[in-house]
Amino acid sequence: MYNVDLIIIGAGPAGMSAARRAAELGISVLILDEQPVAGGQIYRNVDRASAVRSDILGKEYTHGLALTKGLHHDNITLLKGAVVWQIEEGTRVAFTQNGTGALAVGKRILLATGALERPMPLSGWTLPGVMTAGAAQILLKQSGIACQGAVLVGSGPLLYLIATQMVRAGVPPLALIETQTTRDLLRSMRHLGGALRGWPYLVKGLRMLWELRRAGIPRHVGATGITIEGDQAAQAISFYIGKSAHRIECDTVLLHHGVIPNTQAARSIDIPHLWDAAQNCFVPECDAWGRSAVATVFIAGDGAGIGGAKAAAFAGEIAALEIAHDLEGISRPDRDAAARKLRKHLAIECAARPFIDAAYPPYAGAIAPQDATIICRCEEVTAGDIRRFAGLGCLGPNQAKAFGRSGMGPCQGRYCGLSVSQILATANNISLDDTGYYRIRPPLKPVTMGELAAMAASEINEVKE
Amino acid sequence: MKQPRYAQWSQTSAAAWAGFAAELSDATGHDLGLEQNGGYDLHFSEESLEATVSQYEVLKEKLGGDYPFEVLGHNALRREEPAIGPKVVGAILHRQDGHANPLNLLRALADDVRRLGGQVLTGKHVTHADKPDLFRVSCADGTEVHARKIVLSAGLGAMSLGPVLGFKAPIRPQRGQVMITEKLPKLINRPSLIARQTDEGGIQIGATNEEVGLNNGVTQTGLSGLAAEAVAAFPSLAKAQLVRSWGALRILSPDGLPIYQESPDMPGAYLVTCHSGVTLAAAHARFLPDWLEGTDGAPNLEAFSEDRFTLS
Repeated sequence: MYNVDLIIIGAGPAGMSAARRAAELGISVLILDEQPVAGGQIYRNVDRASAVRSDILGKEYTHGLALTKGLHHDNITLLKGAVVWQIEEGTRVAFTQNGTGALAVGKRILLATGALERPMPLSGWTLPGVMTAGAAQILLKQSGIACQGAVLVGSGPLLYLIATQMVRAGVPPLALIETQTTRDLLRSMRHLGGALRGWPYLVKGLRMLWELRRAGIPRHVGATGITIEGDQAAQAISFYIGKSAHRIECDTVLLHHGVIPNTQAARSIDIPHLWDAAQNCFVPECDAWGRSAVATVFIAGDGAGIGGAKAAAFAGEIAALEIAHDLEGISRPDRDAAARKLRKHLAIECAARPFIDAAYPPYAGAIAPQDATIICRCEEVTAGDIRRFAGLGCLGPNQAKAFGRSGMGPCQGRYCGLSVSQILATANNISLDDTGYYRIRPPLKPVTMGELAAMAASEINEVKE
Repeated sequence: MKQPRYAQWSQTSAAAWAGFAAELSDATGHDLGLEQNGGYDLHFSEESLEATVSQYEVLKEKLGGDYPFEVLGHNALRREEPAIGPKVVGAILHRQDGHANPLNLLRALADDVRRLGGQVLTGKHVTHADKPDLFRVSCADGTEVHARKIVLSAGLGAMSLGPVLGFKAPIRPQRGQVMITEKLPKLINRPSLIARQTDEGGIQIGATNEEVGLNNGVTQTGLSGLAAEAVAAFPSLAKAQLVRSWGALRILSPDGLPIYQESPDMPGAYLVTCHSGVTLAAAHARFLPDWLEGTDGAPNLEAFSEDRFTLS
């Protein structure tokens, strides 16, 4: 049993920067992170990989080193490989590490659980050989493995980033099939003025496009009707540009059309969420410090709304200031002075976001998939099934669950949740806010019965003592 | 265990289930996963086993001997259930117990009601009901429905709507936490109150009985307690991954038995409430309509009227 001031869930940029700032203000911090090394998804394995693969992964990636170094502080305990499966009463966190269940109690909890890739259900996406572009990047960061002869499909900056990393690794993708259109680009232009404040992002984007062009990677922009072909595994991908049909033979397809907040932990404790139309996702309701409706629980980073790694680090620090203020580690004027500076940086980091969101919207064909396309991979429920459940009176995803088991498999709805809500909202002509989302219940991640049972025993012992 | 008439009523339903399931799956194509090979009451001590057996003997006598059960010692039980652990001293085997897939039942009923011409309005919040001439049911969104008869089967919603229609509706919520493992190869043959394996392979564990009002949350202590009991009964479950859990509210009357009551103030309004809706589904589909229509074939449900709550 751990007893600390602050429990931070997730050692990505938000969690790490919050931990450091809180620790410096005299707050005792426990960080629980699933991975064997701190860094989160963006700086995954940075302590080990930056030396050997930084030329491939880029300068941005090695920024993570400063954050992981910051964790060396007497007030910080980092538990690696710790999988959180339940949060209760805004202060109790149950987790498993090395096959043993344990409890941690904190006066405050910071959820820094980051983002998930937006599910991209389209015809053939469940075939072997198809994975998310983010998964391909994990292979690169974790193991230095790059996918040969892959086609990248979707939209957004991460798609370009991974493409350039593959070029540098010497295994360039066969092609990029991009789903954003010139109309999206025109629409995004009204945000360009604001975006100029975040000019380094725009420069970075242009540099990546130039790098892809120099490497001769074909880019097919404005693709529709995307279908992955194959019997046992992916063999080809076909799509339309305007009215002309295209087909590329390939055995690896990497899908990506943006990231969305990972809201599972926040939802599991009934923190209210709202639909964000600009980012096409649900975001938890938080105040300017990241405090949620559960007063002891804060949310920072991409889990509170997509802003990227640097924005996450600033948001983590801002939350840490307020948490320290709650626990009398910092005076109000000092908190406000420090926060003012951080908010200025945060605003600049977020300046390019409306432009990026408008220029790279999610692929329409995956938001409203064809009837035969599988939505829930665990239970093999199709888009057509979900629409039929709507016809049977299912107004929300929890009823759809009871009707067809979508979201009831081992991934606990992480893969299909957003798709099911969106399909039901469209089919019933009800807003996303009224349609809602799965009710997320423990375990947040699978836990064995033995681990759970062992905690019952320790509970009995405690009572006996 | 408590009430002979209830034992009869659920026996009646159990006997009607096979025909009911066959009809529903013929009509809708949904297999209900019905298995009626009996179920266990598992015991971890000789004392509790013996105490329960003597209670059943009393009930059996009241029912004129029509209450079949067998007592299995550890070894006999192990022959039936090879996965059973050494801490289980024995079990009572109820041959009439069974198991069905409740989600498939839900889907089949939702389809079949519509197939037979029933209309289902979802997302409606009933705010009031009265009887100017016909019954009039009013909803928050302005919808009004008129009918000759109405059945209040709104679960805990009957707490507020019951008195409007002249019922006592003395019901309360009782939380049950339940959990389910990843899908596993066949491990458990017959269901028990501790664990059962669904036709899909997941093992369903629980539930708890907690008086916590309308809170349907899940607690670590609740889950750990259920897990400890299940692992004690079936040790190999220790390695199984828990993938889902939930808390749900039973709809309990003061004595735990169903309520079937026609409104004394508004004849033609009926309260139907129970907490074993799956067990009783066949009886409700096959025999309750006769009671609602007052035909000669109506089952005698007097024992389940609300009168029983005023006598004491």
